[in-house]
Amino acid sequence: MADMATGFFTDTTLCIGCKACEVACKQWNELPSDGFAFTGNSYDNTSELSGTTWRHVAFVEQMSLDEGGLHDRWLMSSDVCKHCTNAGCLEACPTGAIIRNEFDSVFIQPDVCNGCGYCVVSCPFGVVDLIEKFDPEGVRYNLATLVEGRREEHQTALQGNGGVAGKCTLCYDRQRLGFVPACAKACPTESIQFGNVDELRERARKRVETLVGRGVENVQLYGADDVGGGIGSLNAFFLLTDRPEAYNLPAQPVLPSTRQPAGYASAALAALGLALAGWMIFRNA
Amino acid sequence: MRDLTEPPGGEETTPTYYERPLLKAPHWEWNVVTYLFLGGVMGGLGLIQLLADSSKESERRLKRTVRISSFLLAAANPAILITHLGKPERFLNMMRVVKFKSPMSLGVWGLIFYSGAAGANVMRELAVSGVIPRWLRYFAPGLFAPLQALLGAFTAGYTGVLLSATANPFWSSGKRHIPAASVCSGLASACALSTLLSVLEGNDEVTHKLERLEMVAGGMELSILKHFERSSGAYGKPFFTGSRGKRLHTYTVVAGILAPMALNILGRAVKLPKPVDAARSAIASVLTMVGGYILRESLIEAGKESARDPRAAFIQPQ
Repeated sequence: MADMATGFFTDTTLCIGCKACEVACKQWNELPSDGFAFTGNSYDNTSELSGTTWRHVAFVEQMSLDEGGLHDRWLMSSDVCKHCTNAGCLEACPTGAIIRNEFDSVFIQPDVCNGCGYCVVSCPFGVVDLIEKFDPEGVRYNLATLVEGRREEHQTALQGNGGVAGKCTLCYDRQRLGFVPACAKACPTESIQFGNVDELRERARKRVETLVGRGVENVQLYGADDVGGGIGSLNAFFLLTDRPEAYNLPAQPVLPSTRQPAGYASAALAALGLALAGWMIFRNA
Repeated sequence: MRDLTEPPGGEETTPTYYERPLLKAPHWEWNVVTYLFLGGVMGGLGLIQLLADSSKESERRLKRTVRISSFLLAAANPAILITHLGKPERFLNMMRVVKFKSPMSLGVWGLIFYSGAAGANVMRELAVSGVIPRWLRYFAPGLFAPLQALLGAFTAGYTGVLLSATANPFWSSGKRHIPAASVCSGLASACALSTLLSVLEGNDEVTHKLERLEMVAGGMELSILKHFERSSGAYGKPFFTGSRGKRLHTYTVVAGILAPMALNILGRAVKLPKPVDAARSAIASVLTMVGGYILRESLIEAGKESARDPRAAFIQPQ
């Protein structure tokens, strides 16, 4: 499986903030518009990943003034689902709608999802969300038409109250057809690189060496290796030039299911204590 | 231990992305709150139906009432979950798989098996009392009584694990407290419901035992919440401070635990006339259940606020 694993290496030093990835993703996956919003936060009016926004370009403006004059830089980064080795959403899904496909990507089967929303609170990166109001006229999944030939079925599944969960599929349909995911294809600077994850890691390490050689400070890879907390490495990893928090990435993410043993144990202990108390109360009297 | 004054996820100087939250807030409203609350009540009823001694007339009646009400609640809970999912057939999707790493999946299976055990126990009650043919009781052997209690402990406990085993900073900071508090609150509310139903059917002999158990459960819940308040530190702020903290204190701690406790102690210390004592029991029971409901509601709402904190999820609780 691991040699089949494909993913993204998003090199933020190459991102020019053109948002071609956002547009290409929306177009290919036929995701609805998020409406026209003006946030005032630099050039970022997308704000975040959502059920219907699967690429999000962050604009981090950093400015400081000292004796040396004005120092400013813009960090631009195209965020995406991380396709974790151990994915919180996949583990949490009670229907088995979220699966790991043959490309080692984490994929939501929209016709199986029942909209419970448990994956939403189980993603340590805040990626997956429910598609609240689903307009079946405006949207269709290419996956259904191109690959499975089950468009009708998917459409029906998507028309319920409260919607279903949505996130990046790593262009499962395009990959099945041998195409590069839409965002990577559209990226004009190769900031988003698609390929075999092992090869991408190699390439990323070389890129770090090059940048360090050029004197770029704080160069780090995020998710190329184990991010800790039981999550493992990320199939979609990033090259950053500031701490992860600046890009709204967690410095110490934790896989939610690692807390289950402690939870069940404390519940069992409480239940045992109360059962004992109850037994004593009901026996003596 | 984390310093209370320190914001969760690091110092104030930690950069944020335009103060935008990292995580998504739960999409859970009253239906999930009710689902969790009833899961706890059902769980507690599972223990009470096992404890009631059928050799005593009053407890035999209690056993019967508790078994029937627990079965009805178990049957109602999927309906409440469906109001959240939107369409009835969506509930069936939960039954495609059993996932041990998903508390949501295990919980639904726990609920289904609990319904089965509770149904068997109701059948036994009806067969023994001759409402349905007596030979049907052989299909519901005594084994189902401890089984319902065991499954009950699970349905009450998993509602806490369901919250604490997420990425939500507040919920996950309570990985040891929320599950245990859910079990205690569930049993306290179950005792309260049993007391209320017993009072309504004029079976007040059993109320004293139920009230004692309710006080033990309430006392344990209170001490767990107090310990949680200290250990969760800054992560617990959305739950323990501000208007939500005040609401939790008023409804869950004072009205839901302390007031019923005082009323129950009063009932034991002073010999009240029968109708007054029945009213006292009923009031204490309703207060306990309201407190239990508000506890679940506060947990969900505090989870939403915690998810909106731009820094809380940078460093996630282990």
